[in-house]
Amino acid sequence: MNIRSYVIIKLKELEWSTLIFVLLLSTSGLLAIYSIEAQHESSSEYFFRQSIWTVVGIGLFLTAYFIPRKVIHNLTYPAYGAGILLLLIPIMTKSGNEVSRWITFGSIGIQPSEFMKIFLLLALAKYFADHKRKLSNIKELMTPVAMALGPTILVLAQPDLGTALVYFGILIVIIFWAGIKPLHFFLLLAPIVSMLAAFQTLSFFIWMGLIIIILYFNHLPFWTKILNFFINVGLGGITNLLWALLKPYQQQRILSMIDSDSDPLGAGYQVSQSLTAFGSGGPFGKGLGEGTQTHLKFLPEQHTDFIMTVIGEEFGFVGVMVVITLFYLLIARLITQAYNSKFRFDSVILIGIASIYIFHVFVNLGMIVGIMPVTGIPLPFISYGGSFMVTSMILAGLSANMSSVRRAVG
Amino acid sequence: MLQGRNIVEGWRSLLVHGLLALLFLILIGRYYYLMIVFHEKYAEKATANHIRAVPVLASRGVIYDRAGNLIVDNAPSYTISVIPIEVKDKPESLERLSSVMEISVEEINRRIVKNRRGSFAPAKVFSRVPFEKISHLQEHRLELIGVTYSIEPIRNYVSDLDLSHALGYTREINRDDLNRFKKDSDYQPGDQVGWKGLEKFYESELHGQRGFRYIEVNALGQEIGEVQDRAPINPIPGHDLILSIDSYIQFVVEKALADSSGSVVILNHKTGEILAYASRPGYDLEMLSGRISSKDWNSLMQDPRKPLYDRGIQGLYPAGSTLKPLAALYSLENHSNAKERTYLCRGSYRLGNRSFGCWKKVGHGKMNLHDAVQQSCNVYFFNLIQDIGLEDWAHIAREFGFGEHANIDIPGENKGLVPDTKYMNRKYGQNKWTKGNLLNIVVGQGDVLVTPLQLAQFAGMLAQRGTQFEPHFVNKVVSKNGDVIEENISQSNDRVTASKDSWDFVHQAMWDVVNGKKGTARAARQKDWDIYGKTGTAQNPHGEDHAWFIGFSLDERFPYSWAVLLENGGGGGGKAAPLIGKVLRNIAKRTS
Repeated sequence: MNIRSYVIIKLKELEWSTLIFVLLLSTSGLLAIYSIEAQHESSSEYFFRQSIWTVVGIGLFLTAYFIPRKVIHNLTYPAYGAGILLLLIPIMTKSGNEVSRWITFGSIGIQPSEFMKIFLLLALAKYFADHKRKLSNIKELMTPVAMALGPTILVLAQPDLGTALVYFGILIVIIFWAGIKPLHFFLLLAPIVSMLAAFQTLSFFIWMGLIIIILYFNHLPFWTKILNFFINVGLGGITNLLWALLKPYQQQRILSMIDSDSDPLGAGYQVSQSLTAFGSGGPFGKGLGEGTQTHLKFLPEQHTDFIMTVIGEEFGFVGVMVVITLFYLLIARLITQAYNSKFRFDSVILIGIASIYIFHVFVNLGMIVGIMPVTGIPLPFISYGGSFMVTSMILAGLSANMSSVRRAVG
Repeated sequence: MLQGRNIVEGWRSLLVHGLLALLFLILIGRYYYLMIVFHEKYAEKATANHIRAVPVLASRGVIYDRAGNLIVDNAPSYTISVIPIEVKDKPESLERLSSVMEISVEEINRRIVKNRRGSFAPAKVFSRVPFEKISHLQEHRLELIGVTYSIEPIRNYVSDLDLSHALGYTREINRDDLNRFKKDSDYQPGDQVGWKGLEKFYESELHGQRGFRYIEVNALGQEIGEVQDRAPINPIPGHDLILSIDSYIQFVVEKALADSSGSVVILNHKTGEILAYASRPGYDLEMLSGRISSKDWNSLMQDPRKPLYDRGIQGLYPAGSTLKPLAALYSLENHSNAKERTYLCRGSYRLGNRSFGCWKKVGHGKMNLHDAVQQSCNVYFFNLIQDIGLEDWAHIAREFGFGEHANIDIPGENKGLVPDTKYMNRKYGQNKWTKGNLLNIVVGQGDVLVTPLQLAQFAGMLAQRGTQFEPHFVNKVVSKNGDVIEENISQSNDRVTASKDSWDFVHQAMWDVVNGKKGTARAARQKDWDIYGKTGTAQNPHGEDHAWFIGFSLDERFPYSWAVLLENGGGGGGKAAPLIGKVLRNIAKRTS
């Protein structure tokens, strides 16, 4: 097959709806940034930069779409290795106690942790594609867990709790998708629930009771049951120690989610202002450029993590619903394609991409309305920021690539 | 590579789809709740967020004496405030402020917290700042981001008269009062509020109502400009008070009192107007207004002369012999031979195995009612009370206003005490008290406790033959444009009824106290007008006795009644009667 016919086949196979969803979402982000700047920034620097990133992103979308599957498959592990090295750079060059998430080239800064999402996803997909057996033995999980743990620890060192949770989220969904037994899945997730439950005595005891019942009614070696039980009890026990290890601002973020008014000028301030912006937007919004909350600088970070507040305040519930619907259609399609895919590699990549989108969309849209902690998770395609825009676009291109292969004879 | 069936079980796909749908439904529900259900609440909040109502203080009403002379008005004072959000991340601003004002950063932070009204609203940290400090701050304003100053009116005491206890003072409203006034939401932290005296009693009249300017601000608290479609609300100034106090009489009273501790109340018994009111020692109103240092406060609190104690309405003293006219009047009304009865005074009276002395150790000899009042013979009244029941005595005492509030228009009045059977039973036990207690009561000692105001009112009722006018300090409450908002005209109450003959008899006896050869208050005598009076001694277990002199004038020009209490002023009127003598001479001098 020559290149020309490959391109023609690929163009025919391209699901234009994915590209359209992506373009619509990027456009609404640009609109929001434009609205902020039109009001009071003297320059339109953010709008200009984000437009460039969008164009670059679309280029990368197409690149990711046209790269042959085989090439991706072969580059997976080297890319993962390179990603780890990139993550090490900010840590090595870190000065003092500064938070370092960036590698800078002149005026452009990139966040390697964003690209690592792609590399981790690919590496996990390759691992599960190469080991086609069903995950019947919990030992087979060692390698993928280690793959995710490496970058997770590196971003935690930055420290970037949000991104670490994204990596972990990708792993969980992929393991589930790859066919882990429900009991194993339960035993894998149980320690996390144990730690969360440990914050409250009653919930901890109820949870421990549930673990005992499930362990009792399943066929597992006796010592495995005992070991599992004590791992959960033990982790619950050291939760308070781990909590103390969190940076105060991370603790505050989690606490301020519980009561956003408790510290109106701290982490809760943003959320409390964000609620006001959304609430005052009402059903139809105040109109483009008319938002008072966002434009009078009541909201910091408004063009990055809190970008949706502009859309909410100016376009109202209707505007928010349009964005949410676009995301839903985009993600639901990915899940369906992952299910329909006949290839393990493709299927895992598709579900991994879906998991990244779900995580980002739910955590971002949740945190700005106070139902998730403020973790600095941007909204795909909409939030200002080059690295994540590019990452989201590449993921979208990859997803289009992976779903097209089901028809292209490979 | 093609496989016949899907590599993932259908239930896993369904579960992920289900999870996606669930998470998005949660989001939609949350946004619906915020943007549709609670839209109005947040819309209001958004408006409040960017429109700042800047309060414009109402000027507090001023206080005049009866003739319209200014006693208290307002003067500008500099106040320094801090905008919490602007200094949040700028400790250097507060450090600079702390060095200029010579006070610790911690104390400044404490005041910010105390007076905080929101992140963007200035919180008051210093009041009554001298102008030099303000100009100093002006020079360094670039290093003082978030620090603002404003000019606020404070109380200015124009007159030199020491009316401290009557006027009272204003202070910054505290949290309790703020909560109490919540429904009347005009009060904000940092506001001045009447704390004592007339300032407190007439707070709602004096306070006025603040106005507002509406200014659009951004999140940094920077003003963008006046809001166009919202007209400012102008403040309504507080009403002025016109007192019944006569500055001239007050002045001569204060001069006569000099440094003595005690109290003088002079009122017009035909109207209830208080013309002069002194409670000594007083205090420095300037010092107590606004913020007072704890050192100054403690020194006031610990001063053994108790300057904060308003003796005129709160001081409880035995009335001494000033109450004798009360028993005399009772006797005149109830004993047919009252005027003729005589008792022999040998200087003491025996009851059982106890001896009750007369102030005149050698005795007054044979006494009738008139002479007993004039010469204040205890033994006569010891005998007389045997014919008067405690209940009857207590009844007439209460009719003269003892043991109850005089309803004066300043807060904190004490009721005093009129012992009756119930009280005596409670205090000493059923039938455990004897005629001996009764003997003390009739001469105004023992359990009887009165305030100087009550005695002045008693004198007034004697002058008015049983008719009472409730005493008051404020004649009129007047709005800034001169409308009379409220006028205090005391209603007359005919509380004690007695025959003309009885009143004439009591008046004559009291005239003789001042004018008779053997009177005890001859020092109060005036050349060309008639003064009536009665001296008394309040026994003081802690030192020299307190001197009382009560009395009145029936002169048409001077319908005045008074009570004078001089602490440690000696027995039998002591220095009290001469003091009134001096004051009355000066009053007469003014009109001549």
